[in-house]
Amino acid sequence: MGKTTYKRLKGSQSFRQRLLLATLSSTPIIIDEIRADDMIPGLLRHEMSLLRLFETVSDDCVVEVNETGTRLKYKPGIIMGGKNLVHSCALTRSMGYYLEPLLVLGLFGKKPLSIRLKGVTDDPKDLSVDTIRNATLHILKRFGVPSEGLDLKIEARGVAPEGGGEVLLTVPNVQSLTAVQWVEEGMVKKIRGWTFSARVSSNFEHSMRFAARGIFNNLLPDVHIFNDHKSGPAAGKSPGYGISLVAETTAGCYISADTAVSCGRTEETGEIDVERRERKPAEDTGVEIASCLLQEIEKGGVVDSTHQGLLFILCALCQQDVSKVRVGTLSPHGVETLRNLKEFLGVTFSFRPDPSTGTVILTCVGSGLINLSRKLS
Amino acid sequence: MAADDLMSSQKSHRTRKSGPTMRKKSEIDKKKRGVADNKQPNPRAFSVRSVVKAKRLKIRAVEKEQRRIHLPTADRTYGEPPPFVVVVQGPPGVGKSLVIKSLVKHFTHQNVPEVRGPITIVQGKKKRIQFVECPNDINGMIDCAKVADLAILLIDGSYGFEMETFEFLNIMQVHGFPKVMGVLTHLDKFKDVKKLRKTKQRLKHRFWTEIYNGAKLFYLSGLIHGKYSQREVLNLSRFISVIKFHPLSWRTSHPYVLADRLEDVTPPEKIQMDKKCDRNITLYGYLRGCNLKKGMKVHIAGVGDYSLAGVTALPDPCPLPSAAKKKGLRDREKLFYAPMSGIGDLLYDKDAVYININDHLVQYSKTDEVNGEPANKGRGKDVGEDLVKSLQNTKYSVDEKLEKTFINLFGKKTSASSERKLEEDAQSSPEGSDTESSEEFQSGDEVDDHEMDVDSNDGKIKEKTELRGGRLRRKAIFKDEVDLTSSATALINENNEISDDEDFFKPKGEHSKNLGGGLDAGHVNSEDCSKFVNYGNLKNWKEKEVCEDIRDRFTTGDWSKAALRNKNSVAGDEGEDDELYGDFEDLETGEKHNDHENMESGTNEDVEAAERRLKKLALRAKFDAQYPFSLQCHHLSILSTISFALEDDDNDNGDGINPRNSEAKEPGFVDKLKEELEIRKQMNLLELNDLDEDTRIEIEGYRTGTYLRLEIHNVPYEMVDFFDPCHPVLIGGIGFGEDSAGYMQARLKKHRWHKKVLKTRDPIIVSIGWRRYQTIPVYAIEDRNGRHRMLKYTPEHMHCLAMFWGPLVPPNTGFVAFQNLSTNQTGFRITATSVVLEYNHQTHIAKKIKLVGHPCKIKKNTAFIKDMFTSDLEIARFEGSSVRTVSGIRGQVKKAGKNMLDNNAQEGIARCTFEDQIKMSDIVFLRAWTPVEVPQFYNPLTTALQPRDKTWTGMKTFRELRSEHNIPIPVNKDSLYKPIERKTKKFNPLVIPKKLQAELPFASKPKNKPARKRPDLDARRAVVMEPEERKAHAIVQHYKLMSKVKINKKKAKEQEKRKAYEAEKAKKEVISKKRNREERRERYRTEDKQKKKMRRGQD
Repeated sequence: MGKTTYKRLKGSQSFRQRLLLATLSSTPIIIDEIRADDMIPGLLRHEMSLLRLFETVSDDCVVEVNETGTRLKYKPGIIMGGKNLVHSCALTRSMGYYLEPLLVLGLFGKKPLSIRLKGVTDDPKDLSVDTIRNATLHILKRFGVPSEGLDLKIEARGVAPEGGGEVLLTVPNVQSLTAVQWVEEGMVKKIRGWTFSARVSSNFEHSMRFAARGIFNNLLPDVHIFNDHKSGPAAGKSPGYGISLVAETTAGCYISADTAVSCGRTEETGEIDVERRERKPAEDTGVEIASCLLQEIEKGGVVDSTHQGLLFILCALCQQDVSKVRVGTLSPHGVETLRNLKEFLGVTFSFRPDPSTGTVILTCVGSGLINLSRKLS
Repeated sequence: MAADDLMSSQKSHRTRKSGPTMRKKSEIDKKKRGVADNKQPNPRAFSVRSVVKAKRLKIRAVEKEQRRIHLPTADRTYGEPPPFVVVVQGPPGVGKSLVIKSLVKHFTHQNVPEVRGPITIVQGKKKRIQFVECPNDINGMIDCAKVADLAILLIDGSYGFEMETFEFLNIMQVHGFPKVMGVLTHLDKFKDVKKLRKTKQRLKHRFWTEIYNGAKLFYLSGLIHGKYSQREVLNLSRFISVIKFHPLSWRTSHPYVLADRLEDVTPPEKIQMDKKCDRNITLYGYLRGCNLKKGMKVHIAGVGDYSLAGVTALPDPCPLPSAAKKKGLRDREKLFYAPMSGIGDLLYDKDAVYININDHLVQYSKTDEVNGEPANKGRGKDVGEDLVKSLQNTKYSVDEKLEKTFINLFGKKTSASSERKLEEDAQSSPEGSDTESSEEFQSGDEVDDHEMDVDSNDGKIKEKTELRGGRLRRKAIFKDEVDLTSSATALINENNEISDDEDFFKPKGEHSKNLGGGLDAGHVNSEDCSKFVNYGNLKNWKEKEVCEDIRDRFTTGDWSKAALRNKNSVAGDEGEDDELYGDFEDLETGEKHNDHENMESGTNEDVEAAERRLKKLALRAKFDAQYPFSLQCHHLSILSTISFALEDDDNDNGDGINPRNSEAKEPGFVDKLKEELEIRKQMNLLELNDLDEDTRIEIEGYRTGTYLRLEIHNVPYEMVDFFDPCHPVLIGGIGFGEDSAGYMQARLKKHRWHKKVLKTRDPIIVSIGWRRYQTIPVYAIEDRNGRHRMLKYTPEHMHCLAMFWGPLVPPNTGFVAFQNLSTNQTGFRITATSVVLEYNHQTHIAKKIKLVGHPCKIKKNTAFIKDMFTSDLEIARFEGSSVRTVSGIRGQVKKAGKNMLDNNAQEGIARCTFEDQIKMSDIVFLRAWTPVEVPQFYNPLTTALQPRDKTWTGMKTFRELRSEHNIPIPVNKDSLYKPIERKTKKFNPLVIPKKLQAELPFASKPKNKPARKRPDLDARRAVVMEPEERKAHAIVQHYKLMSKVKINKKKAKEQEKRKAYEAEKAKKEVISKKRNREERRERYRTEDKQKKKMRRGQD
């Protein structure tokens, strides 16, 4: 064991999953050519922040980044978990970016994880914290994660440029995950939504709610959208508003869609400025997200396209039993996840398309990963 | 008168005091006297008489029941079980090989000339056994204990237990205790029947204390014509065949292979270039434990960690008979397979496999009987016979031919070439044998080839069955061997390489695109985002028609359509067994449906039915597991059950619960768990059986029980050079994270039979998981406050913690420690047993440290302490810690006192404050804890890379080094005890100030008399005696003188006397000593004689 052999990878793609799977399977990795040809080469700020987060959660992990940041050497340590951890996330991505790998990582820690994340809570690119709280955590419970100790508390909102949001995540640790047979989609029985506004008028929220409800009126009476107007320190540092919708089905599936709009002026020059579009009226945002949700429901599957990656990872981490899940059209992220799973855990999925519903049924045998770091009592 | 006399001489009558008559009488008597009888008049036979007793009985029954219950473990072995490993272990010369030979002879009617390596036999219709003889060194014993399903411990009855037996038992106990059976041999050495019985009894009880009361100890009474008696071997074989094996947790979570064949497949050119080059080897064996996936890393015991270069499933060399309905095995089904033992027709060599045909076998096949020949499975029997017959027609014996043949050293196609050579020799003259260049196989009338493609992912292999020497042989020909294309590993990377080759020069971006090769234009630096929303082409959901499309996905829509959606989808593409699936998949969500009242009754019923069916399957499977012999074949039964269940499902609706279920009182927690596990297993089976072979292997890996060929590259040449078939070759899979090293904390206990305690930092050899390695532990114990305090030595009879560095294993893994592996060691070799508690990246062990300092300046309660610290930085580290003087004055370290001391620039002087002023002569202590480093050392045992009879030596202990180099134990002079010399203290006279003196009362005033210059008058005066006085004085003086002289004389006399007496005594003593010795000598001589006589009498 004198010499560690590193798995060699290239590019910055699926950075989070690579780190996560490398840590779980304790494979040291070297990632080369990270944005080597880009204007801004090397690791971005949020990626560095993610590495820091991995360092806080685990012990004895070694991270080496070269001067330009185009080469990363990562040797995973032991996932410790623990209480009273704090991490301030980079503001270039929202909390969803960090929470997605962290949720899985926390399950396989030595101690139950309880961490306070600071930064941007919602942005259009990543899952909003509301969605994670109301949809993602339910997916975890399917895999035998105990519901006590699994919680996400939103203590302060924060939107894009300045952030200032704060969430408290607690994840219990498990011995192993149980395989699922999850092909029944069920029917949507209720739709719940959460809107928020921070440092802006709550009118934005009302108009979003109104517009979204208007879409659902044709289909379902049981629609409830809660609002959450924040002011003062709990509202973060930048103005903005957002919405997250979750449809719950009779079979216990949660399908979600969300977005957030930042009203703040971006002083930074960079990609955000380039991408910046004309800000839409709040009604349009509401309609858009409601339509997104319906689109996701139309696609079918037990989870929405955003959660496909997580679902596959969880399936692959199960005990050595057969897991069977149904998803809608495979998203690029889901495909990428399947590749990574094969590379790191050696888990292969078999596909069976279901032409009548336009869904895909995936079957795999879990890798049988057990939480090795848990102490013997 | 006479009569009277007679009467008087008779004994008086003695009334009976016990017995049934008396009891009856006393009862009658009691009744007469009116004493109440305490017995119940009409005791009830079958109902409760005493509540307390009944309660106690019930509690006992429940307790017994609970003790029986174990937490059920998921059984993930789906295929045919691999042969069970029966390890035969015992000290040297106890008859291990003979037992194996006898058993093999019993099961297969074949003689084994020599037991080398595992011998696989088909024992029954459902059962195969692999016999392994445990070698006599401790490394072999460890590896055997790790793979044994059943251990047969041979014990020399005439000698008694030997250490090896107990060592082996201990090793097994630590690595998961497999089934154990003892066998006593050499019982024919006893002449005395009574003594034999006594010995058996004694050994049995000793055996029981070690394992459990009632453990089976078998007796082999003796040899008949150099073999054990047939009846006893039969009995032993019956005991072996009824033993049930239970899963052991380490083994069910790690795949392992006990290799029964090893071949060197290094290209011969490479070896010719460099004899000591790294070799490529292939290992063959049954996969056990759990499924083996392709990219898995393995550990070869005694060699090291390797990644598998290639895995291929081979057809079973020793398959179970087909599942036809018949009683017992036919003779031709009694197969055996032992490539390393050289039995059958295969002689295993390092670089070739020879066919060994004995003379009598040649004769045998000439007559047209095929009965005794093993492994004829029908196909092409006659051709094989022809072949064998043609072999017989040669003029030369096999030995002669072998002598003359060119031995193909380092042939890549080892077995193939040598075989063909033989065949050619058989036909033509033996000289013309060097026609190796032709690579193609002759397939014609001599060899009947059946080629079958076993398609696996990493390269195709062809299976070639041929009938040779009366035995069906299946050779695995690999694609790369035949047409020299890319090897297995190359195939995996095919995509990349091809793209590289096709167009070498490429625009930069394009190249990277290809690497990703993804759906999303596959840029390697694509953004890491799980959301994929296309806001552009959202439908207009405000429109009613658009909404209607997904109406049925909502509870407001049509429920039956929605239910159909799920069902149809599965039915659509599943084909034959669709119905089953459709129902089956409802299971998971079945409960959820139930809580909807408006759910249609049809689907509800379906769900229930499916559930019931699965439960039934599970029950059936459970039953199968309990009574494995009552069924033909597991798979068939399941399949038939499925169809059966489908058929009578409708009938079943009425009667509801399974009769078995209703009979059971109430399904307890354990039963429920068991059922759940069984249902899960059935689900897995259904899912996996649905896939085709390739995908299945891709998804779940190779199943346990398959015969695998593992290719491993770049092993040291020593492994091949020093390969000894008698030693088991164990290949164990390594789980996630088990190949990285870290600190482990273990609960360790010195073995009670090891004579010495263990010393911290003395290297020990541990056997943990699959591995054996040497490491340096640091022992510790947990204090009341949770601190881990280092121990210099392990406690005598207590558990302690041990921290060491090594490759990680999951918590709860047991291990066993040794200090010395040599065989010639007396005493018990196992030094400690232990279990891993957790692992960590660092250790938290502390030991006491005592810093000693002296005051260099004292100011009131503050003192400046020197010698305690060496630098100011060090002081900063200890600011605020408490110190104490020898006299018990407590204090605290404040700060570095450099600046405070005038013109003293010395470093490391600390300012401390005390509760009282201390003295310059005080010594100041600071007591603290300092962390202890555990050395990052671990050294894998490479016992397979050296001659097996050589003892592996690793790092030596201090003691060994000292004795080797003749270095005395260092002595700290300060620690030695010396006589304490105390000077008598001279005190100065008390000085009382004059002022005080003046105030004192007279009594307390010092009465100081000034010293006189001249002696006083009394001393000075002369005494003049009167004449009478003088006379009297003179007389007194005379008397005194006289008495003095008298006493002196007396003393002298006494001394003389004593001297004489002592001389006499010494003389006597010498004589008596002499006599005593003579006497003793005589006594011993007679005693010895008697003993010898007795012994002779016993024998």
